[in-house]
Amino acid sequence: MSRIDRLGRWFFVPVPLARIAVFRLIAYLFIPLDVFVTTRWVAAHAEVPTEYYQPLLIGDWLSLPTPTTAVVETVKWLLIGCALLAATGKAPRVWGTATFLLYFEWMVIAMSYGKVDHDRYAFLVALAVLPTVGIARWRDHRRSEAAAFAVAVIFLAVMLTYFLAAWAKIRFGGIDWVNGSTLTRAVLRRGTDLSMWTLDVPGLLHVSQYLMIGLEVLSPLMLLVRRDRARVMLVVFLLGFHLMVFAGVRIIFLPHVVAILVLVPWERLVRAKPDPKVFPRPLDRVGLAP
Amino acid sequence: MVPVTTRDETDPARADEVVGLTARARLIRLVICAAVLALTLSGTVFGDDYAFPFGPPRMYATRADPDTPVSSTRVVGLTETGLEVALSGGAVGLRRAEFEGQLPRLVANPELLGLLAERYDANSPEAPPLVAVAIIVRRLELRDGVRTGSYVDDVLVTYRLPSDAEGGT
Repeated sequence: MSRIDRLGRWFFVPVPLARIAVFRLIAYLFIPLDVFVTTRWVAAHAEVPTEYYQPLLIGDWLSLPTPTTAVVETVKWLLIGCALLAATGKAPRVWGTATFLLYFEWMVIAMSYGKVDHDRYAFLVALAVLPTVGIARWRDHRRSEAAAFAVAVIFLAVMLTYFLAAWAKIRFGGIDWVNGSTLTRAVLRRGTDLSMWTLDVPGLLHVSQYLMIGLEVLSPLMLLVRRDRARVMLVVFLLGFHLMVFAGVRIIFLPHVVAILVLVPWERLVRAKPDPKVFPRPLDRVGLAP
Repeated sequence: MVPVTTRDETDPARADEVVGLTARARLIRLVICAAVLALTLSGTVFGDDYAFPFGPPRMYATRADPDTPVSSTRVVGLTETGLEVALSGGAVGLRRAEFEGQLPRLVANPELLGLLAERYDANSPEAPPLVAVAIIVRRLELRDGVRTGSYVDDVLVTYRLPSDAEGGT
């Protein structure tokens, strides 16, 4: 078996198209929620004096426009329009690609003012890869290799967000990061009623730092989780971690959490009722294949 | 939970059907995937936030020393009566972390703070006008990683706004 074939086994184990249809709806409908509710500060950049705009490498390279009020408002409404159209599932390559490009520009507007967030790498990957699946209907339980690739790549991006976070901790904080007071600092700055008590338990946040980096370093193992049931348990575990962090320091990696949902076997919730117009399928097509 | 429908019960023919990809389509996908992966890995190893979206995911990656105070920065506008107005809480469209990211630049070019006052005055015309903008860093004392409860407020820079007469408008 060649290497490509072996790789293929991981990337191309066919996935039902219905799973993509459901996940795509969730991902695209998340965008209006993101823009208008959970990440409203991006739109607020419309009124920031342009002197505060600090272009990123990508903004410099592609000569992206300085986010004036008009630019921010235009991108916002085009993005919302394209995301809603993409959510319908019609012309997925056109609207999906447009949504990805506009969301990318929206992120450039978000991150070009002195603070870069790290909560949406996997979501960006999801938006980039979803259009490659093409048409995927809710009740289409045929399994597809294009869908498999999309799920695999988003899974990989989710894993990398954790694994590379461990790398970054060692790179910037040094191996002694685990013995610092990073979590104490976080709780002091952003703590809630649910987390302030941790400051008074000696050693708790210290041990948590070991636990955190340990799990991050081991995160590539999650790629070995194959069965649907085990993947659902993985999703529950990861969402539990993110909810706990949210309860403690009011930070939630919401776009990342949306990307995690690609691991749920959504097709089980959608009845595969054959469409009377196309079923019974002409069996002869199978026979006629050259 | 919604009743679970196994594919086999309802539609065995279609569930067994696989929509495949050609060898070429697979190869293109794997090559692009490898390229993005290479960018991502090199971004984490060599890059920084400037390389978004390929920079290192360095959330909480900085080691905080257990005996160094925790800093919390705020940008405030001051009215004639000495009243403090928070500008870093989103009043002018920027978050606290964004001010912190641009801190060295703001200290070097305090006139940038003047633009915030203009924006604030335009946003809230009924509020008393600002006469100065200041960046204040609160340092909360830590000992062995535990807060002691005491803090010091350190005014990094104060920018006095040009008065109307001087401004000439």
